Amino acid sequence: MKCERCGRGTATVRYAEVVDGSLTTWHLCEECASERGVTGSLTSLAGPLVNILMGLLEGGGGAEPVDSGPTCPRCGLTYEAFRRAGRLGCGTCYETFASQLKPLLRRIHGSTDHTGGVPSTDEGGHFRRREISKLKRELTRAVAAEDYERAAELRDTVRARERELGSTETGDVDV
Amino acid sequence: MWTFETMMSEAAGWLDASGPEPDVVLSTRVRLARNLSGETFPCCSSDQEAEHVRERILSAVSKCNYLTNALVLRMEDVDAVTRRVLVERHLISAAFTEDGAGRAAIAGEGELVSAMVNEEDHLRLQCIRSGLAPVDAWRLVERIDSELERNLHYAFSSNWGYLTACPTNVGTGIRVSVLAHLAGLSRTGRIAQVLKSISKLGLSVRGFYGEGSAAQGGFFQVSNQTTLGQSEEDIANTVERVAGQLVNLEHEARSELTRTDEHRLEDEIWRAWGILANARMITSAEVMDKASSLRLGVALGIIDAPDLAALNRLLVVTQPGHLGRTRGETPSARERDIARADLVRRSLAGLN
Repeated sequence: MKCERCGRGTATVRYAEVVDGSLTTWHLCEECASERGVTGSLTSLAGPLVNILMGLLEGGGGAEPVDSGPTCPRCGLTYEAFRRAGRLGCGTCYETFASQLKPLLRRIHGSTDHTGGVPSTDEGGHFRRREISKLKRELTRAVAAEDYERAAELRDTVRARERELGSTETGDVDV
Repeated sequence: MWTFETMMSEAAGWLDASGPEPDVVLSTRVRLARNLSGETFPCCSSDQEAEHVRERILSAVSKCNYLTNALVLRMEDVDAVTRRVLVERHLISAAFTEDGAGRAAIAGEGELVSAMVNEEDHLRLQCIRSGLAPVDAWRLVERIDSELERNLHYAFSSNWGYLTACPTNVGTGIRVSVLAHLAGLSRTGRIAQVLKSISKLGLSVRGFYGEGSAAQGGFFQVSNQTTLGQSEEDIANTVERVAGQLVNLEHEARSELTRTDEHRLEDEIWRAWGILANARMITSAEVMDKASSLRLGVALGIIDAPDLAALNRLLVVTQPGHLGRTRGETPSARERDIARADLVRRSLAGLN
């Protein structure tokens, strides 16, 4: 198979990229692949999802080998194993791999903050926690707008809410 | 009593063409992905853990008002043909036909609400409604989810919402999809452009049987792609709005077709009728294709019968699993094609 970019070299690298939410796969020769920043081989990995995730993780399709990264203390999944399968092993994985997942989630969803429903029982105080982050955002805006009266009001509300929450604190993540 | 046999003897409720925009939209599906707090996700759990999760979920299901009469199928007791039937009825995913520990399928009365236990996530709960009804479907599935939540403690994080095995579902865990018949746009050649603009809006497009299935007969599923950063209601509203615009574009394309080349269109529709009403052997792909033409003809008033509901049903009951099951043995492809042609002729007999 000829390279789909230059049409001359033999295609040895499969390169997947996501543009506007749709997946495009290219078969490239070594030269064109390295021009696009693909240094390793992606062909050994199974499944388009893995390629999507890999592409997202690597900032658009690179394949630098990495060490196996952190290991989840609860289920034993390594970050490397997640990268290969594209599946997390348990709720604790989200905490374990938080710093790696954050950029990934931003690329997939365009956001890293849940703004949807919370468990109806709200045992973990999720709803109140959400309210507090909303108030904090408002506070930042009020400060930026030099509306200090409003800012002081918001600051007091945030403190009061945090005190309330602290007395029923059960941890951030129900895993 | 709602049993597997009663389910099979009736058509799924969402096929009855009673919802909004039935000439274009067959159905709307909303599903939620949920996992239990403190349990390993299905991909990584032991058989014993998976069994334990199943019992916990089934116990909560039995206490849920909406699902008290639901049919519960432990997948190890379900044979291959029946699994295929469940896929064809959109009750389970294709991936769920493979063996896996602690798997169960749950089908509520009329098949409007159903669930899978231990697929990619511990629980996949879904509601399918007739026509274009994302917000309605979301409200129903939300009520059931809240009821289940009284007895199930879900894995949830304040920052990231409902925690799912795949990061593409985290947050709301919601997938809202609309199954639309875009026969007009397919015929005017505008479909590619329309689908492209849909993907620019952050929605994805798939075929009749979801992930990985090709679009046949101009049937497409449009669904949200992201699950984090927006509320469930906003996601449902977006899909409803975009699908609504899609319906308008499809209507425009259909009237363009009747304006520009009515004879060709009429010819295609009556030929489709001719084949379906007379064929002695027919594949499911051909049924899909011809039923699509016929559906367009019914929607445009070119042909009076069968009605939309009958055509919707035909699309499901002529699939290989349904035919295999009613035949009682495992028929060859050739035997299935004969049986399918028989079934189609009988369904259409005396209707025109």
